[in-house]
Amino acid sequence: MSGPMADSRRRGLWSPGALLAGLALLAAPFLVAGFLGEGATFRMAAAAMICAEGYTPFVGAALGTWLLLGMAVLGARRVAGANGPLTALRNHGARLWILYLLLITPFLLAWATDSSACIRGKAFFWQSVFIETFILAILAASYNLMFGFSGVLSFGHAAFFGLGAYGVGLLMKHAGMDLVPAMVITIVASAVLGLMVSGIALRVHGLYFAIFTLAMAEILHLLAANRIFVDLTGAEDGFTFAVPDWINAASNRMTFYYLSLGLLILTFAVIYRLIYSPSGRVLAAVRDNEQRAQMLGFNTFTYKTLAIVLAGALGTMAGILRGLLNKGASPNVLGVGFTVDPLLMTIIGGTGTFDGPIVGAFLLRLAEQLLRDTVVSLGPWQVNIGERWALLLGVLFIASVLIFPKGIIGSLRFRSKLSASREDETM
Amino acid sequence: MLPRYRRSLLISLAFLGGLAALDLILFPAGQVGVILLSGLYQGMLFFLVAAGLSIVFGLLDVLNMAQGSFFMLGAYLGFAVYGALPEGTPVTWRFLAALVAATVGGGLLGALVERSLIRPLYARPIFQIVLTLGLATVANEIVRAIYGPAGLIPITPPAALDTTISVLGGRFETYRLFIIGMGATLMALTLLLLHRTRLGIIIRAGVEDREMVEALGVPIGRVFTLTFALGCAIAALGGITAAPYIGAYPAMGDAFLLNAIIVVVLGGMSSFEGTAVASILVGLARASAEQVSLEYLGSPLLATVSILLIMILVLLVRPSGLFGSETS
Amino acid sequence: MNVAPLLATRNLSRHFGGLRAVDGVDLHIHAGTLHAIIGPNGAGKTTLLNMLSGALKPTGGRILFQGQDITGQPPHRIAHLGISRSFQITNLFPTLSVLEHARLAAQALGSDNLRLWRDFRKFDTYLKRAWEALGHVGLEGQAHIPASMLPHGDQRRLELATLLAQDPAVMLLDEPTAGLSAEQVPAFVDIIRAIAEEGDKTIVLVEHNMGVVMTLAQRITVMHQGRILAEGPPREIAANEAVQQAYLGQLYGDFADALGEAS
Repeated sequence: MSGPMADSRRRGLWSPGALLAGLALLAAPFLVAGFLGEGATFRMAAAAMICAEGYTPFVGAALGTWLLLGMAVLGARRVAGANGPLTALRNHGARLWILYLLLITPFLLAWATDSSACIRGKAFFWQSVFIETFILAILAASYNLMFGFSGVLSFGHAAFFGLGAYGVGLLMKHAGMDLVPAMVITIVASAVLGLMVSGIALRVHGLYFAIFTLAMAEILHLLAANRIFVDLTGAEDGFTFAVPDWINAASNRMTFYYLSLGLLILTFAVIYRLIYSPSGRVLAAVRDNEQRAQMLGFNTFTYKTLAIVLAGALGTMAGILRGLLNKGASPNVLGVGFTVDPLLMTIIGGTGTFDGPIVGAFLLRLAEQLLRDTVVSLGPWQVNIGERWALLLGVLFIASVLIFPKGIIGSLRFRSKLSASREDETM
Repeated sequence: MLPRYRRSLLISLAFLGGLAALDLILFPAGQVGVILLSGLYQGMLFFLVAAGLSIVFGLLDVLNMAQGSFFMLGAYLGFAVYGALPEGTPVTWRFLAALVAATVGGGLLGALVERSLIRPLYARPIFQIVLTLGLATVANEIVRAIYGPAGLIPITPPAALDTTISVLGGRFETYRLFIIGMGATLMALTLLLLHRTRLGIIIRAGVEDREMVEALGVPIGRVFTLTFALGCAIAALGGITAAPYIGAYPAMGDAFLLNAIIVVVLGGMSSFEGTAVASILVGLARASAEQVSLEYLGSPLLATVSILLIMILVLLVRPSGLFGSETS
Repeated sequence: MNVAPLLATRNLSRHFGGLRAVDGVDLHIHAGTLHAIIGPNGAGKTTLLNMLSGALKPTGGRILFQGQDITGQPPHRIAHLGISRSFQITNLFPTLSVLEHARLAAQALGSDNLRLWRDFRKFDTYLKRAWEALGHVGLEGQAHIPASMLPHGDQRRLELATLLAQDPAVMLLDEPTAGLSAEQVPAFVDIIRAIAEEGDKTIVLVEHNMGVVMTLAQRITVMHQGRILAEGPPREIAANEAVQQAYLGQLYGDFADALGEAS
């Protein structure tokens, strides 16, 4: 028997050992610069180098990151066996390339716009576009976990997103909490909400569940926007709150960039491991044919709850980032927009794929910004593509549902699956 | 009448009576009339959006999340026609033209949507709903692109409808009475259609047992398209009827969609009669509750949240609603 | 028989409004036997199977397994008791591969279902059992094909493999040969016979194909309009006049032919 047993050790690159090795390697230079030898001068020199304009910081970052990623991949060899890095590269090659590009993006932007990555300017602005994209990607991935991988349709995902922003803001502003405790409590609250939603409503038919979630999110939206709580929440205008300096996107945007990128990678890893775990396999079965899964012996309620709670927690994490980024929260984070957007991103990108939601997020935010000022003439009309981007996406969404049900990533995968049967994809 | 029907009807009437009594206790006599009428007005607006939602769901098993968009498009289409007629056309003609244009336009658009977008997804019901969500977004964006996000200046209705009259001890706008009348008329007409015409019988039979109707050789595809178009036409007519009073703006469909969903769930997802009854009940309950909420809290929050909570309760405990059938 | 039945029902009923799909059925299935349930369409066979597997709750009566009352247990608990069921209409997981069906079925009865981080392929026990199950039905070659792409005959075999991977004490087979062509049936019968001959499984077989029933069954229960019409070894049933009357027309011919083959 070849096949499944032989490559069961293939995920070496993503094994905990390899990840730790890679992280340690990445952190080492900073530890050296910060604490050893001429500490302060080193730090200042490093900072000056990173924040300089032009291509020097870019080249340094590009080479350095390449080196580190390479070492991480090779380090995975020990855990994975001889099979390890090559097969891992084959499976995750494109993702590693994109990860690499994203790691050096702030410097790439600085070079491309001839500005600094650390102070106000073009590169600085584009960093925030990327940050917003990462936040949306986390939100979309969380929705995809629930809908694409587990088959649970929800119209209330904005509730989790808004809970993140409002939760962390309210706790820090009115309860005087520090950042980390506020984040932890907000995520716990999100898990509680997820458990409540599952416990109360999972036993009704899927469509009714979706309507339930719509109502629940709307109730939270109404509560947040209402004048009764204006002292707490600022009602329709929302409220602002102070964030610790190191995560203040106005001054330390690069830190925020790497934080949100790191959380996106974490989200990806969590979802990836879950889907390839025994529980993840059950989720796939529940999505495909819930009744049959029950007949096999699975209490499907448990697994759907798992998906909802985890998706909710990840969505809340995205919301927390959003609140921290804007240093505030307003009722629209609880609005239908943040339920429709993840659905849109998921479907266009590819339901039930790992990369789909991320691609969708890039299309939603990044592409929109890139095309902000592109004007196209259609007959007698001048169309500003960036302004009409939502319309274009809507049309793309409809086309995806009708013609490309697998989305962008799904369709690409399908074509390659037909040409070369890759065992790991057909599960 | 089925015993279940009779029971639900009695519950509804009891609720109605209780509500009226409560209002009489809580509010001065002059105000009660206005509250009840404005409740009826709200209810009729909800009905105009919910009617199509209910019939379409009953027969096609599709929850049309774009129903609010047809409501909105009806308003915009009607306004456009109103303004496009040549100078010197009397207001009454313009108004009638707007009403007709919106209804016909909504129906045609609905038929087009059903055939090209909804029908192909018959085998994937989840994606049907998802598609209608996308449609709602697209409709919203198209209107924004053409007219901007701010909304249009309301058209002037015929003079007869543009006044206020004294009724039941308070003053009430004639136009709102017109809306109530329009809603009631449509209610009656649709009931007539469903119970006295061949198409109506087919629709009702299809709601009960689609396979049987297909097996009897009825061209179910055409019936689907007609039904969908009917639902959209009613919503569009509702939109143009309401717009001179509430205005026409891109987001007008969204608020009404949620309320329409509430009404349909409470009344029974595939029961048209249930939707009709529930829309009146919900409208009246809202009007009363909003008054109470305003007096005690200073905002209608309590009313809106309560109605949502009641819907959630019904969803969980009795998903078939007041008049729906047990098996869905 | 003096030995207590492994699976039994006592006055089991299922009413749908006015329709009595199953009406006061007393069934006794003995361990290690292959017990067939036959009857014309609408006799209540599938409803009976639905109740035995937990997919449907009875409106009256009891179901006993190993002497314990399991009436009204949800389907996932019944699977854990050792009762597994295959379906007449294709009821598979469209996007999952053949191997994954069997592997999941095996995993379902294990204790690793709430592991959220380890790669599922590292759990060798389930993979091993899955390959064994595929081997029994001859589907090893199609292991990685998604179920939706299988031809009908292979889908029926996959139904069986999914069942086998759970190594159940009781197998409820709902018309396993449904939709198979005449050429495909004998191979299927051989598979079932091989399983029956291993001796440790109890098989409840609902079938329309009389040839299959006569060849495999050690005991036959005939249902008609929700009730048990007759019960006994194949020869007795074939000769039973009431049974013959219930099966007016076409099937009468099947009986005679099948009897001729079996003798």
